[in-house]
Amino acid sequence: MELAEGALRRRRRRQDLLFFRLCTAPALLLTLLVGIAPLALMLVQSFIDQDSEAWTARYYVDSFTSSFFTRTLMTTLAMAAGVAACAIVIGLPMAYLLARRSWARNLLMPVITVPRMLPFVVVGYAMILLLAPMTGVLNKLLVDWGILAAPLFILFDWPGQALAFGYSAIVVAIGILTGVLMAVDPQLEDAAVSLGASRLRGFFTVTLPLGMPGVIAAGALIFTAVTTAYSIPVMLAGRVPYMISIVVATNLLTLEQPHLAYAQAVVVSVIAVAATAFAQIVLSRYGRQ
Amino acid sequence: MLARLAWAVYLTVLLAWLVFPIALVVIASFEGDLQVSLALRQFSLDAYRAIPRGYWESFRFTVSVAALATVCSLLISVPAAWGLVRGRLPERGVVSNLVLLPDIVPQLILGIALLTVFIPLRLSNSFAGVLLALMAMNLAMGLRFSEALLSGMAEEYEQAAQSLGAGRLTVFRLIVLPMIAPGVAIAALFLFMQNLIVFELLFFIAGPRATPISILLFSDIIDRGVVPQAIGMSALLVYAGIAFYAAVAMLLGPKYLAGTLMSRKG
Repeated sequence: MELAEGALRRRRRRQDLLFFRLCTAPALLLTLLVGIAPLALMLVQSFIDQDSEAWTARYYVDSFTSSFFTRTLMTTLAMAAGVAACAIVIGLPMAYLLARRSWARNLLMPVITVPRMLPFVVVGYAMILLLAPMTGVLNKLLVDWGILAAPLFILFDWPGQALAFGYSAIVVAIGILTGVLMAVDPQLEDAAVSLGASRLRGFFTVTLPLGMPGVIAAGALIFTAVTTAYSIPVMLAGRVPYMISIVVATNLLTLEQPHLAYAQAVVVSVIAVAATAFAQIVLSRYGRQ
Repeated sequence: MLARLAWAVYLTVLLAWLVFPIALVVIASFEGDLQVSLALRQFSLDAYRAIPRGYWESFRFTVSVAALATVCSLLISVPAAWGLVRGRLPERGVVSNLVLLPDIVPQLILGIALLTVFIPLRLSNSFAGVLLALMAMNLAMGLRFSEALLSGMAEEYEQAAQSLGAGRLTVFRLIVLPMIAPGVAIAALFLFMQNLIVFELLFFIAGPRATPISILLFSDIIDRGVVPQAIGMSALLVYAGIAFYAAVAMLLGPKYLAGTLMSRKG
């Protein structure tokens, strides 16, 4: 009798497992077919010679021995790291204000949120309206007021791109940091202040270390986003490509070197995934402390 | 005193910087001119009237594919999250990480990878291809969101219904769905907005027969420079962003938006 009951329970558990696995099956299938399989195929093809179809690592070797590729990769990484660092430094005071004062949150939240919903193309259009050498509002004003003798030609070069990236990056940094700083107990900082520390010192020794996970998460997110951005670098392109995504896309679309483009795409995604994974590891260490 | 002054300057500069694209695009769209003059002398709707048919068609395409992808991915991810959370599947960790992968890999890279597969399947430059790509991306966020919703929900109601004789599907329909519906609606809103503005993922897959509006605006600026009707369309997208904010703020209160880690890649 007990034996039969045990068998019955096991059978029911098996049925449950089957049922729940069926629930997850469509999601798993779609991810495998439209996510994992194409990425795996791209990885495999990056190791296959485009013409002779033999196994080769030459696309990787070619990429890393080409000074053009490595230089563009370095400028891309420098741009991404610089934008991430600047955005966090600039966004931090605003995030602190939003986290501590509810009037600021209620008042300023639309200003922080709506820019996140703008396509990058619209940000690019706005940058052109603002900074274009002849027609841009800022350039015209500065020249009219006599501050500048000639209009600034910074838009179609790396400073213009950095400003456009910085726009979205600051918004992302403020959003993430506000959420994290809100979770830090303000009484801790008050305690430090009542013990004689200045507000500034209290912030840097108490609140900021506790908010560090937010800084790391925001930094990783901005870094990967800038590394693989495509629309802004093309819209505001100078004569020399500054961002790696342009090199990859050119190889793929115009130079008809798809397998070389795949290899370079693999390099870029390894960097991006490594940055995300690094942030995850640091965050989990942080959680344990 | 000095600290207050520093705060005031900082806030003014930062807020001006954050508002300027919205303000400039909207002003330019009403002036119908490419040179924005802050004097606001001329007011016209020419830029909006000049929006060509192609833009509207592309806009309609974007909205319909975004909405369909949102619905389909939620139809898939909500049951999947239920199965993972309530079924206590041994492979839960593996499956949810696997589904998150398309969101961790940069959109640009996933777009290139999809192009290589879609061309032989004739899925590139088609509604179905764009839909599939968006669904793969939405699935990650939909699953994460609904897993969090279900983990935060007490299981007792489901057990009570089950002990009273309800089958699995009845429990799902009568207990689970009504309880998580508000959360799912918000997830849908976020996914839909993300789908409207996605660029890198679809850039390589899109073509003349399937052009999301952000890609159409992009290729117009590359080919022809800034044209008034493009500014008009951009202004409409700005209004969509504001409407989205208003919708979420009314549903949730503005506080909620602070912590949401909506990843935006660009």
